[in-house]
Amino acid sequence: MITVRQLTKRFGERIALAPVDLDVRAGETVALVGPNGAGKSTLLRLLAGIITPSGGSAQIDGRDIVTAGPEARRRLGYLPQRLGVPGSTVLADLARLVAAVRGLHASVAFEALDRAGFGLRLGSPLVELSGGQRQRAMLELAGLGDVGVVLLDEPSISLDADGAEDVRQAIRAARARGAAVLFASHHLHDVALLADRIVLLVEGRAVMTGTIGELATAAGVAWHPDDTDPPIERIYRVLVGRSRDGDAKSLRLVRSDAA
Amino acid sequence: MTAGILRFELTTARSGRTVLLFAGGFAVASLIVALVGLSAGGILAVQGFARTSVSLLQLVVWVVPLVALLSGAAAGAECREVEFVFALPLKRTDVLLSRWAAHVVVLGAAMLLGLGAAGIVIGAFAGAADGLRYVALTGISCLLLAACLAIGLMIGIMAPTRTRALTFAIGTWFVLGIGIDLLAIAALAILPPGAASWELVTLLAVNPVAAARVLGLGLFGADVLAGPTGAALRAVLSGWGAWVLVATLLAWTGLPLFAAARALRKRDL
Repeated sequence: MITVRQLTKRFGERIALAPVDLDVRAGETVALVGPNGAGKSTLLRLLAGIITPSGGSAQIDGRDIVTAGPEARRRLGYLPQRLGVPGSTVLADLARLVAAVRGLHASVAFEALDRAGFGLRLGSPLVELSGGQRQRAMLELAGLGDVGVVLLDEPSISLDADGAEDVRQAIRAARARGAAVLFASHHLHDVALLADRIVLLVEGRAVMTGTIGELATAAGVAWHPDDTDPPIERIYRVLVGRSRDGDAKSLRLVRSDAA
Repeated sequence: MTAGILRFELTTARSGRTVLLFAGGFAVASLIVALVGLSAGGILAVQGFARTSVSLLQLVVWVVPLVALLSGAAAGAECREVEFVFALPLKRTDVLLSRWAAHVVVLGAAMLLGLGAAGIVIGAFAGAADGLRYVALTGISCLLLAACLAIGLMIGIMAPTRTRALTFAIGTWFVLGIGIDLLAIAALAILPPGAASWELVTLLAVNPVAAARVLGLGLFGADVLAGPTGAALRAVLSGWGAWVLVATLLAWTGLPLFAAARALRKRDL
C-alpha cells in the first residue's frame, strides 16, 4: 500500500506539489486528475524515486521512499509518461533486466510479452514500435512479477481504442490480485470506470479527494450510483473552476479513509 | 552491482554506433601507424618495435581520451532518460557503476582489437622482442580509457543538458591534451631553473592523459620524448615515478566515479 504524509516538492521557488496526504490500500484504485501542471506526474515521480521530496514523507509497503528506496521499490511497477528508456533499447534486453531485478527467469518476461502480442518483436528496438505498442509493452513489463503497487502516469496516452481497453484490463487485473493502483489520467471516462477514489489536483494542491459520488455532491451535480455513465466531465469542470476561483477551502472534502 | 543491470548496460553499450565507429576507425588508424612506423627511417630516439609502439602511444593518448570522454558524457547525460530503470529496485550507484564498467569493457575490447592487430603487424616485421612491453602499453591504454570514461560520466551527470555535457567533454579533452602541457611550458619559463620540478610533477598528477603518455614512453626507454613533465618526474621521483603515474590513473578513475555517484544519488531525474 501507499502512505503519503505532507509530501511536498519544490523546484527552486516554484511549488510543484503542496503538502499532500494520501493512502492507497491494497486492492484499491485511486486516480489523480487535474489540469496540466497540477502535480500529478510530480506525485507519481516522487513515489517512484525519480525525484526527491522537498518535505514530508511517503512509504510503499511500509518502507520509506527516501531512506529505503530500493526496498520500497521492490514490489513497485511504474509506467512513466515518457518512454523511460532510450529508444534504441531492445525490448528483450529490457525484459531480461526487469525479470532479473524481480527475481524471475527471463522466459517469464518473454512469455508475458508474447501473450501481449510482442512475441515477434522481442528483438526490436523500442523506437521501431508504434507509440501505442511501446506503451503496452512497457505496461506489461511494469506489472511483471509480484508487483503490489502500480503507478501509472497517463497510461492511455497515445493508445487506440483497443490499447486503451488493454490498459483498463491491466488496471482491473492489478486491483483483482490485490495491488494498490495509483494512476494519473486526463481520460475522465477511464477515471469514472476504474477509480475507487479520485484525487483532484490543481496547481500543485490536492483540492479534493473522494468517490465520484462525493465529488458530484461537492460540485452540485446530480448523480445516482446506478448511473453507468457518470457526468464526470461536468463534475471536473465545476470543481477545477471553483478551485481556480479561490474556493478551494469549501471544496475540500474530508473522509475518514481518504486524504 | 547486480548481474542483471550489468548485462543490460553491456548490451546497451555494445549496440551503440560509437563503438562500431571507434573499433573500425581505431583498428585502421593503428594499422596505418604501425605500417608507417615500420617503414620510416630511424630518426627518433627509439627504433623498431619500440619506435612504432611509441607512435601508437601518441594515437592512444589523443584518440582514446576523446572517445572515452564523449561516450562517458553521453552515457552520464542519458541517465536522465532512464526513468523506468531508476524506478526498479536498484541502487543508483549500481546503475552508474554498471554503466561505467560496461563502457570500459565494450570500448576496451574495441581498442584492444586495434592495438592487437597493430601488435601482430609490428611483431611480424620487427620481431617480438618487446612484446611484453607492448602488452604493458595496452594495459596503460585501458587505464587511460577507464579514467577518461569516469571523468566523462561525471561530466554527463553534472551537466544540465546533453549538449552541454558533450561540450564540456570536448573542452576537458582539449585541456588534458594540450592545455596542461602549455601550462607546464609556461611554468618552465616563469620559475627559476630547478625549482619547477615539483610543480611539473604535480601537473602530471592532475592530468591522466599526460600520466599515461609519460608512463608509456618510459616503458620503451623514450623518456626523452616525455617533455618537461617527464623530465621532472625522473628528477624528483626516479624509480617510483611509474607507480605514482599508475596511482594517478587509478585515482582519476575512482574520484570522478565517487563524485558522479554522489551527484546522481541526490539528483532529480
